[in-house]
Amino acid sequence: MTEPLVTFKQVQKKFGNITAVKEINFEINEGEFLAIMGPSGCGKTTTLRMLAGLEIPTFGEIRLNGRLMNDVRPHERDTPMVWQTLALFPFLTVQENVEFGLKMRGISTSERKIKSLDWLDKLGVKELARRDINTLSGGQKQRVALARSLVMEPQILLLDEPLSALDAHLVIRMQAVLTQLQKELGITFVYVTHSQSEAFAMANRVIIMHEGEISQIGSPKDIYRSPANQFVAEFVGRNNILIGKVIKVTDNTATIRTDSGNYVVTMRNFEFKKDSLVNYIISADLVNFSLKKPEEENFVKCRLISEEFVGSMVTLFMESNDGTEFKIQMQERELSRFDVKNNSDFWLSWPKDKVHILKRIDL
Amino acid sequence: MKPGRFLNFLLKFYLFFTFIFIFIPIAFSLVFSFNSQRFPTIPLGNFSTEWYEKIFNDPDVWQAVINSIIVSTCTALVATFLGFCTAYSDFRYRFKLKGLYLTLVLLPPTIPLIILALAMLAWLSKLGISGQIWSVVCAHSVLTAPFAMAIIRLRLNQMDPDLEAAAWNLGGSEWSTMRHVIIPFCKPAIISSVCLTAAVSFDEFAISWFVSGLNKTVPVIILEIVQGNIDPQVNAIGTFVFLTSMTLVITAQLFFLTWQMKGARK
Amino acid sequence: MFSNKKYNFNLYALTFRIPIIIWQLLFFVGPVVFMIAMSFFLVKNYRMTEAFEFVNWTKMFSKNYFWDSYWFTIFIAAFSTSLTMLLAFPASFTLAFRVSEITRRWAIFMLIIPFFTSYLVRTFSWYVILAEKGVINALFGYVGLGPYTMLNTHIGTLVGYMTLTLPLVIILQTVTMANIDRNLIEAAYNLGCKPFSIIWRVILPLSKTGMIVAAVFCFILSFGDFVAPFYLGGSQEPTLPILILDTTKSGQQWPRAAVVAIVMMLTLFIVAFGGIMTAYAKSFRR
Repeated sequence: MTEPLVTFKQVQKKFGNITAVKEINFEINEGEFLAIMGPSGCGKTTTLRMLAGLEIPTFGEIRLNGRLMNDVRPHERDTPMVWQTLALFPFLTVQENVEFGLKMRGISTSERKIKSLDWLDKLGVKELARRDINTLSGGQKQRVALARSLVMEPQILLLDEPLSALDAHLVIRMQAVLTQLQKELGITFVYVTHSQSEAFAMANRVIIMHEGEISQIGSPKDIYRSPANQFVAEFVGRNNILIGKVIKVTDNTATIRTDSGNYVVTMRNFEFKKDSLVNYIISADLVNFSLKKPEEENFVKCRLISEEFVGSMVTLFMESNDGTEFKIQMQERELSRFDVKNNSDFWLSWPKDKVHILKRIDL
Repeated sequence: MKPGRFLNFLLKFYLFFTFIFIFIPIAFSLVFSFNSQRFPTIPLGNFSTEWYEKIFNDPDVWQAVINSIIVSTCTALVATFLGFCTAYSDFRYRFKLKGLYLTLVLLPPTIPLIILALAMLAWLSKLGISGQIWSVVCAHSVLTAPFAMAIIRLRLNQMDPDLEAAAWNLGGSEWSTMRHVIIPFCKPAIISSVCLTAAVSFDEFAISWFVSGLNKTVPVIILEIVQGNIDPQVNAIGTFVFLTSMTLVITAQLFFLTWQMKGARK
Repeated sequence: MFSNKKYNFNLYALTFRIPIIIWQLLFFVGPVVFMIAMSFFLVKNYRMTEAFEFVNWTKMFSKNYFWDSYWFTIFIAAFSTSLTMLLAFPASFTLAFRVSEITRRWAIFMLIIPFFTSYLVRTFSWYVILAEKGVINALFGYVGLGPYTMLNTHIGTLVGYMTLTLPLVIILQTVTMANIDRNLIEAAYNLGCKPFSIIWRVILPLSKTGMIVAAVFCFILSFGDFVAPFYLGGSQEPTLPILILDTTKSGQQWPRAAVVAIVMMLTLFIVAFGGIMTAYAKSFRR
């Protein structure tokens, strides 16, 4: 087990009376693509800035390669960042921008030239070397910003919502570029975003942050399938979260009573106590849709309220008799097999072993 | 819409008339600097360059021009330096008493020149440095630094707020970043500010009159001539001063406007 | 930006913050404070000695000519300000609402030109134009009128003040009105407001702050100018700046001049303060 590249130990950041980061503990391993994700104001950008040295923790330790970094100034760290606004120097050409960090390091002019052109080439923008920054497109600027940081050949690259200013189709393309780059170079990427799709598409490990604290750390799949708490369950993916009370516990199942019906779940790691309140969670894409009453133990009769199409996926918003909202997600071609217009009652069902249970926190 | 159009016409005519009022003295001075009449009036006299010849042959005028050039150049450099430091401090830092700091810097233009002139005269005399060229420079830079500060501060507003941090992030120390990023970025505003403060200093007469003593600047010469009899030499000097100032102002405007447009396109 | 206090007390930050402080203290605060102190000095036999006496103040305040001059200066500056603001308004209105953006930019650029011509030379031009032998009277002469005396009267002073302040006032008024949200004006029309009423009910209230700023600047400039009343007004009634000029240049009575200067500064401070309070009054109440 090698030492982690970066450790955050009990790190806290306050701005006057406002606590941006309450207390976070995590590690970053060499060579991984880590995403820090959360809604605005959760502290993810502050965390990244602390790693870059642009903010100093009010408490706690940040270590890079075992070395305590709290007092190390930003220009003395080797943590180049790709900025949300890209922050390219408008008075320098593309090549001069890329060379900037090398120039600060004192690398000779000839060597700078070679290195910068090399990296511009790797990112497919070598022909733009002499151009004025203002003449570039969004995607081109992105690549230049990447080249400027990567030319430093750092151990770790920080990215602060770098794709947020791009058009949607470019985002997809850049995601592929970033993923591939990271794999080829083996550099550790720390990627901050508010977009779930970006984080889950690219990272092999994700930290979810909420109100200055870490809600969950895990692989995208783990987080998606096993949200650790109510916030993650609501924030990530499309989950049906039902409030229920445990009414029966057997050896391998438990029965939960909710407003819309009694449902069963297979026992796994959760400790079921009779009469305790839980969140009964079933992901929208694991729900089955049918026009006839199904055979499974878990089912509910619903009316269709609305449909939402995103590309080939459709989410149906349904409502059971007691008013509980249910979401079901499926491919559009699956939906077209059903005659939705001439029916008013539909049946939803789901397997009991795919249900996720969380203890409920009463507000 | 007929009454509306008529009204528009009236308004535009009025606007034109206002501009006439503003530019008459300038045009007048220009025209009569080339006129042979001793007392400028209509009917016009002959075309003549005698007034220009007179001032070009007057050593006092030349000395004044040299003094003015020295004073305005030095003022421009000092004021721009002070204005830059203040603008950067305002841009980057939050600190206690910042309000007081900014008030201190921005207050001078609100005080009538004649009062400043008196105060400067008294103070510089007490310090024993009145009557020198560089005492005028000191006074003028106090007066013009706020303009320099405003111009550069506006330019800094156009800067991507992450730009400085990006430079640090790539290994630039604060001094390096200042040298390689902030100053190059502010270049058009700096040039603009140098031109503007030079122009203001070049035309300033109240403080110069009180403080310059024997080292007269051009406005002081003008004052002296004007206090005597009607002398069309003033028109020639005035036109010369006008052309110099205009060149400086146009240069300043060109730099500032083009870079403002480029910055907006970003 | 660095947020830790530790970084703020470093050499780098201080290098940029300190120079202007030292410079302003030396060459701005120093002179002004010294001038205030000087008003308490004594002058004997054309020599000034440092002291702390109120004699300059009492002498000045007891002189009628001082108070006459004081009220006259306030009157003429206020009158000039009102006149300039009124005369500038139709022009600014046109520039803000009735011309294209490009025309407006060019107009403002042209209005900046006078700032960089010598005010003295422009005053001299007006002197010659307004004189009995000057262009205007010559033109009147062609139609059998005149000659009218314009120099050495208040008319001359007003013309001079306007030469100084009109460009600035037009620029400020134009910029203020051009920045009004057009939607608000359209909304007013939409609700039935008549064209002329729009000015009174919508445009002026919305440009209140800018107008007050323009008026305050205009007043400060007129109040403090000595060139217009001296050369064009013939010092018919001396204004306070002329008093300062006289006592300094001819009389060497710097302490007396300082008294006048301090009275001027206090008056201007009150005016500026009053203006700012009026301008921003509503926003505080909100």
